[in-house]
Amino acid sequence: MKKNLLTRKMWGVLMRVSFLQLLFMGFLASLTYAVDSEAQLLEKRVSLNLRNGELSLALQQLEAQTDARFVFSPQVINSAKRLTLKFNDEPFGKVLNKMLRPLNIKYEVSGNYILLNDAQSKPIDSREFGLLSIPVLPIDLKISGKVTDAGNNEPLPGVSILVKGTQRGTTTDQNGRFSIDIPDQTAVLVFSYVGYKAKEVAVGSQARLDVSLETDTKALEEVVVVGYGTVKKSDLTGSVAQVKAEEINSFPTANPLQALSGRAAGVQVTQNTGAPGGGVSVRIRGTNSIQGSNEPLYVVDGFPIFGSNPTVLNNADIESVEVLKDASATAIYGSRGANGVVIITTKQGKTGRTKVDFETSYSQQTLRKKLDLMSGQEYATFYNRQAVNDKLKPYFTQDEVNSFGEGFDWQNLVFQKAPMKTTSLNINGGNDKTKFSVSGSYFGQDGIIKGSDYNRYSLRTNINHQVSKKFSVSLSNTLSRLKTNRRDSDGGSRGNSMISAAVSAPPTLTPYNEDGSYRILAIAYPFVATDLINPLNFINEQSTEINANRILTNAALIFNPIPELTIKIAGGIENADDRTDSYTTRNFFNSPGRASASSYQFTSLLNENTVSYNKTFNQLHSISAVAGFTYQDFTTKTLGGSGNGFLSDITETFDLGSAITPGIPSSGYAKSVLVSYLSRVNYSYADKYLLTASIRRDGSSRYSPGNKWGYFPSAAVAWKVANEDFLQNSPNISELKLRASWGLTGSQAINAYATLNELNAGRTVFDDAMYTTFSPGTRLPGNLKWETTEQLDFGLDLGLFKNRLLFTADYYIKNTRDLLNTVILPSSLGFTSTIQNIGQVQNKGLELSLDSRVLTGAFKWNLNANLSINRNKVVKLYAGEDILGGNVNVVVINDVTSILREGHPIGSFWGYAEDGYNEQGRIRYKDLDGNGSTSQNDKTFIGNPNPKFIYGLNSSISYKGFELTLFVQGVQGNDLLNVSSIVNTMDHGFGLNMTRDVFLNSWTPENPNSKYPLISRNTNARVSNRFVEDGSYLRLRNIQLAYNAPVEQWGINWLRSAQIYVSGQNLLTLTNYSWWDPEVNSRGGGNSTAQGIDWNSYPTAKSTTVGVRIGF
Amino acid sequence: MLNPGKILLCIILLVSLAACEEALEENPKFMVVENFYNTSEEVESAVNAIYSPLRANNYTVYETTLECQADYAYGRGSWTPLHEYKGLNDANINRVAGLWNAFYLSIRNANLVIANAPKGTSINQADIDKNVAEAKFLRAFNYFQLVRNWAGVPLRTESNMTETDLRKSAPDEVYALIVADLLEAEKSLPEKQSRVGRPTKWAAKTMLADVYLQLGRYADARDKADEVIKSNLFSLVPVQSVSDYQVKVFGPELVSTSEEIFYLKYTRQVGQGNYMLWITNHPSTKLFSFGGAYVVYGFTTEPFYKNWDNKDIRKALWQPVNIGLGANTLISSKFADPNAISQNGAGNDDPVYGLNDVLLIYAESAVRAGNSVTAAAMEALNKVHRRAYGQAPNSPSAVDFKIADYTAASLIDLVIQERAYEFLYLGKRWLDLKRIGKVKEAIKAVKGIDVADKHLLWPIPLSELNFNKALNPATDQNPGY
Repeated sequence: MKKNLLTRKMWGVLMRVSFLQLLFMGFLASLTYAVDSEAQLLEKRVSLNLRNGELSLALQQLEAQTDARFVFSPQVINSAKRLTLKFNDEPFGKVLNKMLRPLNIKYEVSGNYILLNDAQSKPIDSREFGLLSIPVLPIDLKISGKVTDAGNNEPLPGVSILVKGTQRGTTTDQNGRFSIDIPDQTAVLVFSYVGYKAKEVAVGSQARLDVSLETDTKALEEVVVVGYGTVKKSDLTGSVAQVKAEEINSFPTANPLQALSGRAAGVQVTQNTGAPGGGVSVRIRGTNSIQGSNEPLYVVDGFPIFGSNPTVLNNADIESVEVLKDASATAIYGSRGANGVVIITTKQGKTGRTKVDFETSYSQQTLRKKLDLMSGQEYATFYNRQAVNDKLKPYFTQDEVNSFGEGFDWQNLVFQKAPMKTTSLNINGGNDKTKFSVSGSYFGQDGIIKGSDYNRYSLRTNINHQVSKKFSVSLSNTLSRLKTNRRDSDGGSRGNSMISAAVSAPPTLTPYNEDGSYRILAIAYPFVATDLINPLNFINEQSTEINANRILTNAALIFNPIPELTIKIAGGIENADDRTDSYTTRNFFNSPGRASASSYQFTSLLNENTVSYNKTFNQLHSISAVAGFTYQDFTTKTLGGSGNGFLSDITETFDLGSAITPGIPSSGYAKSVLVSYLSRVNYSYADKYLLTASIRRDGSSRYSPGNKWGYFPSAAVAWKVANEDFLQNSPNISELKLRASWGLTGSQAINAYATLNELNAGRTVFDDAMYTTFSPGTRLPGNLKWETTEQLDFGLDLGLFKNRLLFTADYYIKNTRDLLNTVILPSSLGFTSTIQNIGQVQNKGLELSLDSRVLTGAFKWNLNANLSINRNKVVKLYAGEDILGGNVNVVVINDVTSILREGHPIGSFWGYAEDGYNEQGRIRYKDLDGNGSTSQNDKTFIGNPNPKFIYGLNSSISYKGFELTLFVQGVQGNDLLNVSSIVNTMDHGFGLNMTRDVFLNSWTPENPNSKYPLISRNTNARVSNRFVEDGSYLRLRNIQLAYNAPVEQWGINWLRSAQIYVSGQNLLTLTNYSWWDPEVNSRGGGNSTAQGIDWNSYPTAKSTTVGVRIGF
Repeated sequence: MLNPGKILLCIILLVSLAACEEALEENPKFMVVENFYNTSEEVESAVNAIYSPLRANNYTVYETTLECQADYAYGRGSWTPLHEYKGLNDANINRVAGLWNAFYLSIRNANLVIANAPKGTSINQADIDKNVAEAKFLRAFNYFQLVRNWAGVPLRTESNMTETDLRKSAPDEVYALIVADLLEAEKSLPEKQSRVGRPTKWAAKTMLADVYLQLGRYADARDKADEVIKSNLFSLVPVQSVSDYQVKVFGPELVSTSEEIFYLKYTRQVGQGNYMLWITNHPSTKLFSFGGAYVVYGFTTEPFYKNWDNKDIRKALWQPVNIGLGANTLISSKFADPNAISQNGAGNDDPVYGLNDVLLIYAESAVRAGNSVTAAAMEALNKVHRRAYGQAPNSPSAVDFKIADYTAASLIDLVIQERAYEFLYLGKRWLDLKRIGKVKEAIKAVKGIDVADKHLLWPIPLSELNFNKALNPATDQNPGY
């Protein structure tokens, strides 16, 4: 009975669609019943004045004043009976009580339907009801209507309609309409459609029958994509986070991974630099590998792609992203699963009306924060002080100093306002045989440094076709064109890179000479560092353009000999054709014209053959199993040429042969192969007890003979406590599941041929000619085997109040052993490093996430939050010896920055502890070994780049057509090593501009407790705690106000939805970090020993965006 | 029940299974150490690799670092602490660490040849000997630089080249290897090489003479130098002007000269040219078209310059250029290549050992060996001296020093002074001063600075101390660092 009422209620709601309700339905279909307006309905004030009239008349009056609709069988209402009633402004409920009780009629409210029952008779049967407002008609044998999806009110084509107990039937047309002849009024129509709950409707006296079908609760339940299959969210035994299209596409990002930041617990996303198209590093549950990459494996539509950062896709192409975190989920990817797996699913075609979605946005980006540098006058004063301190004559006279004033602002010269544009068009539809999704999209970002940009044009097609009952094919194609101009000459020191030059250029100088040529900064003053280059050289006279074609294509033949068995043979190709053109004009400082062009061709071929089996026995035992064999190879070919000295800049990189000195051509080749066997079984008993076990055997060509094969098993159990009898009827707990998993995964930490002692070719000169040289590189190869990560995970999923509150917690311990690591060798060996399988690292942590619908109804508020805590430490190293890494060389300092030591977090900063200043204003370092001098024995732990916790918070409030979304993301408790600041705060004496606080707060005998030491060209800077800063930040990553036009209300049929929004990205960042931006990782994400280093990276922008999203 | 789909799948699986192991074999398209060093060509290309770490800017940086410490010179910018003589600061510690790495990389490449060439499958004994000798010559060359600047260092040879942790050998042990290597090189290197730039027997003798002089084995030094002189294979290039020096002696377009014995060779190719020109030059001189760092400078006001005879053509190679420190500043114009193609694309060779060096080594060691002035010693000195005054090197001239004017001690001083003039900017002066024990005296005399003891040796780099467990950072580091 209850279920029937629910369906009727939904149907009723849909029949009286207001915009608000549509929105309501569209976003929270599954939850409408949680927010009944019944109480409100019965509170409504009504008046009634009936003098000797029929009950039906009274009901009509009441219907007119409320939204209520009465449902009853004719027998209930004795039309002969006349009533006299008078109510004035009384609650509807009270009126009903007073009116119906004397008539011995019970009523039951469901939504705005009120069912009237004879108190004595059995409850009303749906077969017998009729609607009061529709006149009871004589039996008509023809009935027509429309079938829609109860969730989104979309018409459903192809729904089969059968007159119950007969062979008579029909299907709905493209618009969901149908027409059918029925034998009589007692006929019952059965509406059925794949993925929806079948529905039986008694025709009664109706001529028109509009039916809405609810998606099958099982189908309705969210499905998550896992390795080699999908699983219902409620049946998950592992730890998997899902991020939906809406979140990924909520604001424009060059890389879809940037959109993952803060969205999923346990996933840390860091933008390495602010450059358009710059790399993004992703860490899932911490850092496992020392030598290898710590980036997860990316799987796009089933294709495990090469490398990190899937640049082939635009955000708008993505339907969902699943992040597989625990070993139960990742072990099926074996040797590539240790760092987690990110599964990206692109938008697939859906049966039904063809839908067209168009989106476009425009953003304006600006430098998020300018550095506070010295003015011209301060600069001149500063260098005069330095000269005096170093016992030299002051460089500038007082008159000169005074004349400089504010000076020239190089930051304003280098950084600009820049637009970012996105546009996408997606068309998707299909029928019961063929489904398709076709889209074209564009992302274009200009960088805040003049001349830099990033453009991606992407075309995507997904087609599924049912060839016959047993055979189907699918094809998924993405073709992307990337075009980017780089101006991200970074790192460096003393102004020999673009970013360093932008900060270091003297404010007393302007970029141009009188004659319009670039001012040569290095010779402007005798004391200026020879490295300092006018940044305009980098902006205007040096270009690097990368054009890349990316193809990802995947086809599968699927054979179902019996419904339970699926045999799938899939083949895929990933291809990258990159071409990089770099040109330095003759106008660049000291350049005769330098050109280089290189091409990079990468191809990965994939063959996957899987058999899967799904069956439920006796409605208790449910088994789903998959087994397969896969082959994937990876081939890279490179080719490069260069030339030096050109007569004209016109030829750029396109006539290398005309160079005065053509360079030596280069080419390279590498191929590796991965062969795997995999299998997995999921077993569920009574939908209460779940068991998953998987194993993968991987063979990789990269390892030494005898160590090529590795086994990666996993097992997981889950208990759906909520399905136990004692909780089945709990009013509060709607879901409760306990999970536990264990497994082994691996990491392919080395490149092809890493175990071979390769000889590199070079050139040397005899006579006046060049001769070939052959020698090994500086890395000594070793005999290597797999890294293995063993992970244990305990999880809890809790849903409260009909899942209005969903809470997930996971605790994990990961132990990685046989770590491959670069072992630094004493440089007297000639080899400076080698790789060995050494040591052990542990990561353990806690992930919490909360999804809640705080307010429902007209005013809706959804709040999602997640928090992740990860602690990692080095457990064991080869012979307990430290591993030092992260060397920085900025002239004044050239030393390691980071250490791996047993018992300490990976990549801890390692350096000297400062101890104030001596009497000469020079930095004193703590003499930790007490030998009276400062040596590397005095080094200690000076910081930890690993955050204490990371978090994300998304709040979405909507009312009527308006939506306000706030997305906050943050990192807490991590340290950054500010290498950028070393030169521009401590490298005095070389004419480089400094931050203003160096000018204001340097050591003098009067100010012995200053922030900076004596201004002197002989600063004794070392890697010390001075440069370690708190990298914590809280960032308002996105704030968006959107308005959804009530197109339905406006009666525009061709328009499905229309949204206009304004948003801002990075508008607010709370941090104590002194340099450009705390979200920085100059050395990139893959490595483990040089994390958290900020070394003259392209700074981050903030932006404001306007956009529209339209659906047809 | 079998159906076509199942059969297809089975076939694919079976074929793949069989192919698996084969698919996992690596077939790189490059050469590996294990199957190299078999033919004469292969070994020769491996020998060529011994030169690369030296030539790639490092030897230029090495000479410049030494030169900044000479009594007549100053270092600019980050090189400044070198002329303050208080030990190296971090920037210079890092710089010399780079040199350490370069010398040892070169040594490793030499050791690879010494260890592997004799095992070659398609190489005759003569070629093995020749190449091993060349490798040993270069290994000795590297150790000679190391031992003079760092004193004791880990002694890596073909027998311990793979031992990660290796103790420091005392200078005596290092010199023993140097001498042994050079003796073998002297024995097995050809009289004349097919290509200029490879060491000959004469190069080995020259370096032996230099090493013996350093070791105080003056008679041996004299005899080796004399063998080279007596060979009559080499002669000084006569000059009449500054530009003759810039073109005929150090010129960028020279393939070789009659006085060349062992030079590092450069050519006008990207990355294959001499970096010294960028280090030396000031952009205003137009001697080099890619700017310059004008790192080493001197002053006209100092005695070294003031006492230098104006008729000595070499004096004009030390050219007044105002680099912002006044008109009395001097910059070397020894190396000029206006047609260089890039910052490190100048064609000038680096004259490591020429006949001038042999003559002056002879002069000094002959005097020291007998503690007396000899005519031959004086003639050797005069050849170098005459040439610098535009005279024919081998004919007596008016500018000649006279035997009668000198005692053994004063002649030695004269030779040392001549070396300073002759090798200005080639990094020999500082090592000469150290060798004769006059660093402190000379610096004090010219610059009025007391040289700190720790300044006399360079620190062992952290990349060695941190990772070579046979070294004790507390006791094996050179004093003061």
